Amino acid sequence: MTELVSQALWSGILTGSSYALIALGLALIFGTMNVINLAHGELVLLAAYIAYTCESAFGFNPLFAIPAAIVIVCVATTLTYFLVNQIRKDRELNSLLLTYGIGVMLTNGMLLLWKADIRSTKSAWLQDAVVFGPFFSMRSEILFFVISLALIAGLWWWLTRTWAGRAVRAVASNRDAAKLMGIDPHRVELVSFLVAGLLAAFAGAAIFSVGVIQPGLGISLTVKAFIITVLAGMGSVPGVLVGALLLGLTESLTTTFFSSALQELAGMVLFLFVLFVLPNGLFGTRWRRAH
Amino acid sequence: MNKHLKSRMTMLVLVGWMLSTAGSAMAEEFVVGVEVPLSGSLARVGTGMSEGITVAAEVFNRKNTKHKIKLITVDDESSPAKAVAAVEKLASQGAIAIDGGYGSNNIGPASDAANKAGLVYVTSGGVDEALTQRGLKTFFRINNTAGYSKAMLGLLADMGVKSASIVYLTKEATADLAKDIEKALAAKGVKVTMHAFDPAITDFKPIINKIKLQDKPDVIVMSGYENDYVGVLRAAKVLKPDVKAIVGAWSLATSKMQDDFPDLMPNVYGTALLPFPAEFTTPDGKDFAEAYKKLYGKEPDYLGQFGYVQSQLLFDAIVRAFDAGTLKSGGIAAELRKTNKDTLIGRVQFDDKGDNLNFSHRMGQHQAKQIAIVWPKEYANGKMNFPGVPW
Amino acid sequence: MFAQRIGIYVALAIALYVLVPFAFAGNLYLMSMIIASLTIGGIALAWALLGNLGGLVSFGHAAFFGVGSYASALLVMKAGWPIGASLLAGGVCAALAAILMLPALRLRGPYFALAVLAYAHIFRIIATEWKGLTNGAGGIGNIPRFPVVFGYDFASKTGAYWIVLSLVLAFALIYWRIRDSHAGLALRAMHDSEDATRAVGVNSVLLKALMLFLSAFMTGVMGAFNAHYINFLEPDYAFSGLWTMLPIVAAIFGGYRTVLGPLIGAVVVYLADQLVFKALMPIGHQIVLGALLGTIILFAPEGMLSVFAKRPWRPDRTRVTTGLRDA
Repeated sequence: MTELVSQALWSGILTGSSYALIALGLALIFGTMNVINLAHGELVLLAAYIAYTCESAFGFNPLFAIPAAIVIVCVATTLTYFLVNQIRKDRELNSLLLTYGIGVMLTNGMLLLWKADIRSTKSAWLQDAVVFGPFFSMRSEILFFVISLALIAGLWWWLTRTWAGRAVRAVASNRDAAKLMGIDPHRVELVSFLVAGLLAAFAGAAIFSVGVIQPGLGISLTVKAFIITVLAGMGSVPGVLVGALLLGLTESLTTTFFSSALQELAGMVLFLFVLFVLPNGLFGTRWRRAH
Repeated sequence: MNKHLKSRMTMLVLVGWMLSTAGSAMAEEFVVGVEVPLSGSLARVGTGMSEGITVAAEVFNRKNTKHKIKLITVDDESSPAKAVAAVEKLASQGAIAIDGGYGSNNIGPASDAANKAGLVYVTSGGVDEALTQRGLKTFFRINNTAGYSKAMLGLLADMGVKSASIVYLTKEATADLAKDIEKALAAKGVKVTMHAFDPAITDFKPIINKIKLQDKPDVIVMSGYENDYVGVLRAAKVLKPDVKAIVGAWSLATSKMQDDFPDLMPNVYGTALLPFPAEFTTPDGKDFAEAYKKLYGKEPDYLGQFGYVQSQLLFDAIVRAFDAGTLKSGGIAAELRKTNKDTLIGRVQFDDKGDNLNFSHRMGQHQAKQIAIVWPKEYANGKMNFPGVPW
Repeated sequence: MFAQRIGIYVALAIALYVLVPFAFAGNLYLMSMIIASLTIGGIALAWALLGNLGGLVSFGHAAFFGVGSYASALLVMKAGWPIGASLLAGGVCAALAAILMLPALRLRGPYFALAVLAYAHIFRIIATEWKGLTNGAGGIGNIPRFPVVFGYDFASKTGAYWIVLSLVLAFALIYWRIRDSHAGLALRAMHDSEDATRAVGVNSVLLKALMLFLSAFMTGVMGAFNAHYINFLEPDYAFSGLWTMLPIVAAIFGGYRTVLGPLIGAVVVYLADQLVFKALMPIGHQIVLGALLGTIILFAPEGMLSVFAKRPWRPDRTRVTTGLRDA
């Protein structure tokens, strides 16, 4: 019984860390621009397909595909930023609809380019088992768990210690005041889109190495990322990690103790619960109050 | 004035051209409507079936000098409403029968629509019980769930299994297969535990861990689709439960799975019609393999094989009905009912509900990068590696 | 002047009710497409109503559609209700489902939009798991068709067309009346500035809730219609994301702020997608819909039809809040 529970917890933590990677980019853009990029899931998926192409056409390990993925996904996010910036009125809602449209285009584009077959990594090295006592996992899961912790730590350091990162937080907190302080909000927004693209590239490599991808996956990734962003609360990077872990644990514990058929339901109910009971998320108010 | 005249003439020509390409069925050219999913969740299997149908038409047209088959294909986008619309469109374009269909949820409404239009509906993509319980005289299918479970149960019996864990997707077809197998195994005194999972699942480790620690079965049985198989096998490779075999259903014992996931496949069993590399021994089989290779540049898979057989039987029935002069008066259905032919999937005979009486699938096992048929004995070309798992 | 307007309406009615079936009844496929586009149009209208009068954008209207479909099908098949009453009951059940969404009303725009999406997922999962009621993933087949009334078979394509056309026009009428009424004025004012409205004493939450119920009701009726027209239901189909996506594209394309815009947008977009784009690009043709949505949002947020109309559509109201929100 304890073995069952401990493996469930471990699985939940591993899954949660890859969810965190997926959610970070969305949370960052939402924090700085108050824009929900509904195409974010598709961008992560795009990175995953690039990893697939590198592996199948050139034989690279998906990890080595990450630089190529970063370049392509950042181009895509820059384009998205440029388009979102063209919106004049009612940006909050219109950007929602615009990015929704971009998401539909990306999904169908990927369907055209890569067809509907499922894809995943062939690399035996990534699929090998890594065992610590009662904890079992695939090497790819451990690898991306470490990578995601490193990226989250790096992002947090960047936001709190570097000038660029502080500028991002300033714009997120109070746009006009930041302008008055000499910060160009447009530059900052572009930077946050680029960083989101970088994060999405890693997330894409992760989902390709750990699981199975197909063109329709994009929207469910976006929904998961949004759920976690809400759980975390506005603009809190540690919150994203906690929220993601919470979601991952909820899913794996539901599967272990009830039925896997209910795991998606559990995630949705968790989402609604947090939305209604803690509208500022787990960490939202605390972060706000700190400033 | 001249400009107006010119543009009106162009319009007339365009309209005339559009009307003429609407197509009309000539006496010796039989228009057969193909309704398959080419996009949406069933895109891959629909395309596979469509390839088999195309090959069948190609082979028929090559060998038959008097008659020609013309196929019109419409994508039903994996949706029931579009499937109905596709059948209606094909009916309006003069199709005399509908060939294709994948997914019982789409085939149900689509074959209803075909029935209303007086057209025969032939498929290999709908294994649901309910499809042959509707009393339709125009519905025919060459495979069904019973054939799959017969094969899997036969293999399990050969293995002498005493306990099994069944991991299954909560969709209708996969869940029905799982329940069939559970009932049959329980009746023979085999201990069975069931584990359902929904399509959104990504990590199978919690389920496999339950199986490893609580069930401790002889065999793990999987009922799902390709992505589910990959997930289960990966989790099993990590957790290494102490089982003697892993058995799945459709889309598993294929060369595609071998190519895409070579480390997950060794010793895994799945339903398969032919071994790989395929050895086509009958002249019919050789025709099929050659034409397929020529058209698509690759080896045929089970989807193409099913699509080929269903179309072959349909085309033969059409020709017989034409010769008997009953083409317009329900002759195709009558002739199909009289089918009694040896095909790539064995002997096919339809009962009065449209089911293929004799359908029984075969079981293949991934062995050393090839697929050997290991059950039933009449078709086996290899022995099963039992016990054997991918790790 | 008045007589002239009546004349135009009568002519339109004759064109829609008589000429269209007369011209196309032979082509079953085209009639199917028209009926499907009107179904989408009804949802698009309900969606736009929620946005304009309720100030709420929703990304999960499929939730109401699915609830209405199942409710109507089950009432007829298990409780023996007549189909006409079940259509209305389907709408009512969808409105009841909206009651579950009331807590979401205090959420800001994007949060509400995605909360409704979560509800759509939840309803779909319930429909899949509650096998006793809904037959689970297998779905419900052989849903009774529309009856023969006064000797006319309403299950035929033309009959179904008349039914959906009448429903959609009725909804448009209701929408139009509310919009031009006192309540409509209050709602539109509230959409502009909630604080000002509260200061004047209008109960904004109640009004928003009513608009949510109305939008849910209309969508539910459309779902019920579809169930009896297609005669088949399953959870993935009834709650499919397409029932959300297509109405949004249609409403934005046709003109989010007008009454008829979403309807005309639905017919144009759906027919173009099925008859033109799909023929050109059998796989992935919905990429054009995504591009369309993006283009409209950027270049013609008032909708395509406002660009084409000779007389510019009268803007419904002037925007009160600018500046701060438009950085």
